[in-house]
Amino acid sequence: MLVGAIFLVLLLIGMPIGFTIGLAGLAGLVSMGGERFLATGVSKLFAGLDSFPFLAMPFFILAGEIMNHIGITQQLMRFAHVLVGHFRGGLAHANMIASVFFAGLTGAATADAAAFGKTLVPAMVAQGYRRDYACAVTAAGSIIGPTIPPSGLMVVYGSLLGVSIGGLFAAGILPGLFICAVCMGIIALGAKRNKLPDPEPRAPLKVVAKTFAKSFAALLMPVIILGGILGGVVTPTEAASVAVAYAFFLGVVVYRNLGARDLYAMLLSTARITGVIFVIIAFASMLGWWMSFERVPQAIAQAVFAISENKWVIILLIVAVLLLVGMVMDITAILIILAPVLVPLATAIGLEPIHSGIIFVLALNISLMTPPVGACLFVLSSVTGERLEAIAMKLWPFLIAEIGVLLLFAYWDGLALLVPRLLGFL
Amino acid sequence: AQSAQIRIAHDNNPDPYDNPAHACAAVLKNIIETDSNGDVAVEIYPNASIGTATEAVQMVRDGIIEISLSSTGAMAPYYPNIDVLNLPFAFADNGATYEVFDGKFGAALAADMEATLGDVKILGFPDTGGFFAVTNSVHEIATLDDFKDVRVRTMTVPSHQAIMNALGAEAYPLAWGEVYSALQTGVIEGQMNPIPIISFSNFQEVQGFMTLTNHLFSPYTLVMNKDVYDSLSDENKNIVQYATQACVSASRGLSRIIEASDRGIAGLSKGMKITALSPEDRVKMREVTQAAFDKHVDENLSEEGQALVALFKEEVAKANASVFMSGE
Amino acid sequence: MREFAGLASHRLNQVVEAVVVLLMALLVLDVWVGVMDRYMFRWQLPWPEIMARYLMIWMALLAISCGIARREHIGLSIVIDRLPVVLRRGALVLCDVLAIGLFLYVLYYGIGFAMGGATRRAMIFGMSMAPAFAAVPAAAALCALQLGLCMVRDGGSQSIIDQGGEV
Ligand code: NA
Ligand code: NA
Repeated sequence: MLVGAIFLVLLLIGMPIGFTIGLAGLAGLVSMGGERFLATGVSKLFAGLDSFPFLAMPFFILAGEIMNHIGITQQLMRFAHVLVGHFRGGLAHANMIASVFFAGLTGAATADAAAFGKTLVPAMVAQGYRRDYACAVTAAGSIIGPTIPPSGLMVVYGSLLGVSIGGLFAAGILPGLFICAVCMGIIALGAKRNKLPDPEPRAPLKVVAKTFAKSFAALLMPVIILGGILGGVVTPTEAASVAVAYAFFLGVVVYRNLGARDLYAMLLSTARITGVIFVIIAFASMLGWWMSFERVPQAIAQAVFAISENKWVIILLIVAVLLLVGMVMDITAILIILAPVLVPLATAIGLEPIHSGIIFVLALNISLMTPPVGACLFVLSSVTGERLEAIAMKLWPFLIAEIGVLLLFAYWDGLALLVPRLLGFL
Repeated sequence: AQSAQIRIAHDNNPDPYDNPAHACAAVLKNIIETDSNGDVAVEIYPNASIGTATEAVQMVRDGIIEISLSSTGAMAPYYPNIDVLNLPFAFADNGATYEVFDGKFGAALAADMEATLGDVKILGFPDTGGFFAVTNSVHEIATLDDFKDVRVRTMTVPSHQAIMNALGAEAYPLAWGEVYSALQTGVIEGQMNPIPIISFSNFQEVQGFMTLTNHLFSPYTLVMNKDVYDSLSDENKNIVQYATQACVSASRGLSRIIEASDRGIAGLSKGMKITALSPEDRVKMREVTQAAFDKHVDENLSEEGQALVALFKEEVAKANASVFMSGE
Repeated sequence: MREFAGLASHRLNQVVEAVVVLLMALLVLDVWVGVMDRYMFRWQLPWPEIMARYLMIWMALLAISCGIARREHIGLSIVIDRLPVVLRRGALVLCDVLAIGLFLYVLYYGIGFAMGGATRRAMIFGMSMAPAFAAVPAAAALCALQLGLCMVRDGGSQSIIDQGGEV
């Protein structure tokens, strides 16, 4: 209780989340009484990071940085536009399709939101879309990125819980495509009410072919990553390093717009993002050790099962907890703190670890765009200058649709595990 | 009121019928608590819930917990001489492993461990699930030549890699969490482990062939914090000793039962072709791997370690030759 | 005083960032060597995987202090942004003081932890674990120092990066 109170108070007075977890953990260690616990706590900082699969995270971040820098993102948007520009609200649809392409390159929703917010949102506004609507579409699409592999969140989940990262990646493909489809449905349904611009003429086949040829190098990237991992050629960590090599090759040899100075900046920015995430992982493993030693997860599980032992209720509880906490906290931190507590619950009611993983990842990704704390909302708001509340007002139909997808995959394990099963991860 | 508390850590499921580690821990807990009439309380931390096996050894040394069931891989960073046990194709049968680890060699090993670490009491050497078998997805392995170019996953243990390479296979260290999918997708073609681990991990789903090579035997070390052990009353020390004996027996019994049950060869044979080695092929494999192992020992182990290897070979030879209940 | 602290923080961070970039570059090269070894050369090198983990840990732990210098560590600002300025500054200075305490704790016990690593063998080159473990106290010392400098520099007037980090 004391540790929980310290955690909350520190979080509310603006202590960075990683340090909050560290101080709460320290309080726990002190309460155990005895200096040797304080000494062991420090060893947990190292042990918590000492995992080879974690490496995939900085590598995917770095690959995404390079891809953004060398202009791949814009190339993919153009290609998406010639594909679906002739529908009513064509640019909005193109935004979704581009998110799917982009998803194969990057593991982070904020990267998607930033890149699209800088380029697609102004383009949509110029074509007559309302800016808040354009931002909402971008936010809704940005979570396709970390749902379709590669996904940093899946790397963390798989590494922490010893679940196959390849299997999680496989499980992410279908929900990612579902989210794209339902969002395009929402765009079409709301076209009139949102006064979306009229369709543009269909791009001639020649233009489509030409744009495709130009984007080919970029579209090859997901093929390399996914094909490599799902086809069993490489492990996820190796695939991530191959992705970096490929992006590096494109930047230096093909596009010739990647200099030593840029590289320095990208290596540094990758390291800094990694540091921000890893400080949370490190201190969380210290806090987590105290929790395991004091059998806190077992106590929480008992409390939950006292409410109900029904599988459907427990799944709903897990989803609700993730979405609610996701409203106010960083999702990586939530994953690291709550997974060791909630996953045993899911296992106890018979969920496959990969199925629990996809529920976690979907719920946390959705909470990237729930106010008040939603990383994608912040990024879009700061990039476009649109008010957060205004984006949120246009966002809720997408939000509801995406929660619908989440519940579908949470309750229908046959669907959730279809691709991992087909690819032999189960 | 209780006079001592013992916390035991291991990294398997908390079900005594599921795995030798919890069988052993549960027996320890039961005997120590009942025979001390509650004077010593025992708590088990299963599933590596408070740390990896390697960390658990450190926690015993630091007095955070009192006992850990540690694999050879977990002991190696603190006690490099444990590599002695990786002498390949040493034992003729399970009974020989019992004799060696309960006898003169086990005592010498425990003494060397205690002297090297300085802060632990070695209680005994429970079974982890018996001999190692090799599975793969390429073809049946019956002779030495069959190992050629098969990519086999090993732990990051240099002598294990040396043994696999000596057989002609390609040793491929890989994190445990990636092994199943790597086998499934063909990143690696084979792996080696005791039979309970192979069946627990469902490798028969992704591997077509299993060879009962029996090339390694890798027991747990039951490590206890020395200060805590020394602080026990003579009566409680005695209880811990005979509880350990029962725990070791339980681990051996459960291992043999798993091997004989649907979770062992009987069940695995539904998914894999199972091959036993002919004595001639086994001798050939022993020759190439022991030469490689001897070279590895010369280059890597201390003098005490080399002396232990000599004693190990001597005792194994005696045990291999002995006959059950012959009165020797 | 504030200017001096700001300058010192900046200079220190420039050095640390250069080291972090170097480590990150080595990490990329190391993993590339591992992949090429596995698929092309088949030397079966034992060290790339282990080296990669230790390079990653050194890189990430040192990078924590870069995040501190730039105030990039994410926190929650919804409550604090609604407080009067004096309270807000007080709270943020308190946060810095407490965080310094946390890193001093890590530093103190981290030194013992790293020295304990001297008797533990890493699985390559017969190395001990001490050089790898040393990342913990080294990073903690840098973080405590950098936090102290930034506390003087900002005096509680920094803005909080609000939960922007996500992988
Ligand atoms: Na992605
Ligand atoms: Na949110």
